[in-house]
Amino acid sequence: MTGTPGDGRGRGDRVYAPDFLTELFRNPLDPGYADAAARRRERRDPPSGWRHWSARSVALLVAVALGFLFAVAYRETLEAEPGRSQARSGLVEQIKQRESDTDRLSVRADELRAEVARQREAALGGSEAARLRALEAGTGLGRVRGDGVVVRLADAPQKADAVTGTDVGPSRVIYSDLQGVANDLWAAGAEAIAVNGQRLTATSTIRSAGQAILVDFRPVTGPYEVSAIGPGSMRERYEGSRSALTMRKVAEDTGLSFGVREAEEITLPAAAEPRLRYAEPSVSPTASPSGAERSGPSGSRTSPSPSGGGR
Amino acid sequence: MIAVLALLAGVVLGVWLDPTVPAALQPYLPIAVVAALDAVFGGVRAKLDRIFDDKQFVVSFISNVLVAGLIVYLGDQLGVGGQLSTGVVVVLGVRIFGNVAAIRRHLFRA
Repeated sequence: MTGTPGDGRGRGDRVYAPDFLTELFRNPLDPGYADAAARRRERRDPPSGWRHWSARSVALLVAVALGFLFAVAYRETLEAEPGRSQARSGLVEQIKQRESDTDRLSVRADELRAEVARQREAALGGSEAARLRALEAGTGLGRVRGDGVVVRLADAPQKADAVTGTDVGPSRVIYSDLQGVANDLWAAGAEAIAVNGQRLTATSTIRSAGQAILVDFRPVTGPYEVSAIGPGSMRERYEGSRSALTMRKVAEDTGLSFGVREAEEITLPAAAEPRLRYAEPSVSPTASPSGAERSGPSGSRTSPSPSGGGR
Repeated sequence: MIAVLALLAGVVLGVWLDPTVPAALQPYLPIAVVAALDAVFGGVRAKLDRIFDDKQFVVSFISNVLVAGLIVYLGDQLGVGGQLSTGVVVVLGVRIFGNVAAIRRHLFRA
């Protein structure tokens, strides 16, 4: 290996120019090789046998290590692939199974709810049952139907950022939009509201978790439909409300879609029974023995009876 | 020639022993491979330039792999692991490309 390198660079005149990239492109070889060759040329004597051979053997060991590394990396990549796809398909399967479980259970819940209603009606007298139904309809625990409006909101078509690949901007419907729509529908006289089939009750929440919007802790996905049953003037009144004006402007600016239409004979499902943990009924209108007992200490309340559908 | 045989021996060894890589090191394996490729092509080009040096080869391999791994590790700790490993791959890729171009000129005179 008597070096006769083409470039006449000695050691030490390599300048780490500010233009590092140009240097990288022009001379991709490690400068150490040129330096070593120059050193050898300066010495002009063949390297001593032992040193030479030890360096040689170490280099060969490195070559073995290289081959080893390549083989290991190759095998690793091959092995990782089935694992990845397996994990993905496993997750997909789990999701599907849970979804079908949920469907089955919610069908069962509906059946049981209907059964409970039937039993209760059989147990109670006709007028009592009718009263209960009215209360349930008002509080969101019973299915209702009637004429009303449907407000439809949908995300703008995905506009991915060309550089980062992530989608940008405020062109998605966010939870506060739905909150605003629901609040203004209440204000416009709605008597029952559901978001994508999730009935709103007195304790309902519309919140966000990451990118998802949760209504009563259940995720809803776009396009969002807020259906409300109310008086015939509701649409007009809603159109003049703040959220409608805001959303129209937002829709104009960002391409998000927003529409209000009147709908006849819409049916809103019942909400799940709220589990009250702290609040208890103070006085039941039919003063059952236990209710009467409990009403003793809180008897000074001004309006002890929960008037039907009161909000 | 001997070096090529050693490389093949390493491949055979790797296939035969079939070692499992510890999970902590797995993210650094691809980067280590790219760094090793850079060292290999640098070595081949130096050989063709007739300035190959055993010590330089060994040092460049080890330091390449270690520094590349270290940068990616540091990036992971700082939360910019993806971007830093992209940077490492770009720099090493440019070097590999340049060296392969030089090797091509040596072999084909074109």
